[in-house]
Amino acid sequence: MRPQFSIIFFTTLAGMAQGLLFFIALLNIEAPVLSAPFLLMLALPVSFILLTLGLVASFFHLGHPERAWRAAMMWRTSWLSREVIALPAVMLMTAMTFFFVASGMVPAWIWAILLISILALWICTAKIYQCIRFIQEWSHPSTLSNFILLGLTSGGLLLEFLLMLWNDPDTPFGVGLISGLNFILLFIALNLKLWIWRRNQQLKPKSNLATATGIKGSNIRQTSMGFMGGSFNTREFFHHQTDRVISNIRKIILLMTYIGPMILLAFSMNSPNIAQIAIALLMHYIGLLAERWMFFAEANHPQNLYYQRVS
Amino acid sequence: MSANKQLALVIDLNVCVGCHACVTSCKEWNTQGSAGPLTDLNAYGANPSGTFFNRVQTYEAGSFPNTQTVHFPKSCLHCEEPPCVPVCPTGASYKRKEDGIVLVDYDKCIGCSYCSWACPYGARELDEERQVMTKCTLCVDRIYSETLPESERKPACVLACPTSARIFGDVHDPESDASKAIEERKGYALMPEWETQPANHYLPRSIMETIDAARNDK
Repeated sequence: MRPQFSIIFFTTLAGMAQGLLFFIALLNIEAPVLSAPFLLMLALPVSFILLTLGLVASFFHLGHPERAWRAAMMWRTSWLSREVIALPAVMLMTAMTFFFVASGMVPAWIWAILLISILALWICTAKIYQCIRFIQEWSHPSTLSNFILLGLTSGGLLLEFLLMLWNDPDTPFGVGLISGLNFILLFIALNLKLWIWRRNQQLKPKSNLATATGIKGSNIRQTSMGFMGGSFNTREFFHHQTDRVISNIRKIILLMTYIGPMILLAFSMNSPNIAQIAIALLMHYIGLLAERWMFFAEANHPQNLYYQRVS
Repeated sequence: MSANKQLALVIDLNVCVGCHACVTSCKEWNTQGSAGPLTDLNAYGANPSGTFFNRVQTYEAGSFPNTQTVHFPKSCLHCEEPPCVPVCPTGASYKRKEDGIVLVDYDKCIGCSYCSWACPYGARELDEERQVMTKCTLCVDRIYSETLPESERKPACVLACPTSARIFGDVHDPESDASKAIEERKGYALMPEWETQPANHYLPRSIMETIDAARNDK
């Protein structure tokens, strides 16, 4: 598939916000671990801004953004429609959490509903891709696991950075502890990504020219796709990059998304340093953009079987 | 199979000569009909691009000298279980109950392209200028027309085909020409592995096994 930059920015920005909110809610559901000023002045506004940026980015995907409201109509059948409802729901819950924290009385259920809405948005986003059964790279539960894990890693790194920025001596746990947690999450996410890449490599396409055309006989090949110019079909479903570019981007993903931040975190477990965490976060986000780009690029669409030769 | 009507095309690969008359007549009708315009970008430039509902492709099978060339028209198959319809977030993409035609409501389409990802056949094209998803309508504005003479109330591609390679009819009616052709000549569907149950069918080429058999076929 052709990587869509609007969706790359939307899923990474919203995913990071979801990860951050997930940790905030998890830490505060039993007792207020994170202080109200930290939540009100920094963590919740940052989450809200990231979600808003993601929402804005998603509009660039549409040919008719002025009709976007219609996209909430088909929630009974369409995961995209469900996502269109779930994203504003998370934003609404973030705003409600903000007002409850500001009022000084935060019931536990508000954190629980926030957690549920975050999970719902992750499920909707991943299912948009996972439910397309003939894109075999996407049509697997690992798509959802990968979206959630990378949301958690980016959100966890952002939380660590924000806590160091806040620099409150009253924080009940050392930031080094979060470094350790983020390291473990990144390690799991890295193994999942390597597993997904191995799976993709071993996939046997269910469709081929024989099933696509029904032509009997051996050695079927296309001699003409029927036109010499371009079309939507030749643009939308392929990444248009060489194998070399693809393999280089894979290396960038491994280094920037996973290994680089893990090294920085390993060094910061004993003596956390804000510059190290900031660099780890930045590296991780740039890596995530490449990871999401590759998520599209490595998806093989069976319609490409029909568009192989100009003449 | 439901009792409802399911209009479809049955394409005879024995007689298609790859002349592209169906492609041009489709474009001509649909760029000026209620579905249009189907815009062309940079039509006379170095990299032309345009929206089409129908294409004729060419395939080859076998090894020299025993090869066969197959011309293969391809348009929306109006699946009985269309994977492109439930994914549409606005309901712009729908399948008509009364005749099974899969259509796009251009006034509701937000141009998100998701339905095109959900079609394994590549039957849908986003119109670059109008930014809405377009696809074969089975000439819904011809076949029910009250102003056209009755003999012309067929899809433009069917009327244009010089070899009658395209049969139009109700594949749920066992007495229709389309159903009979499928029944008698082992009509098949494309990519059966995805269980989309395409309504359009293809009639297989009766293969000349060897070049000698072809030469002796008098």
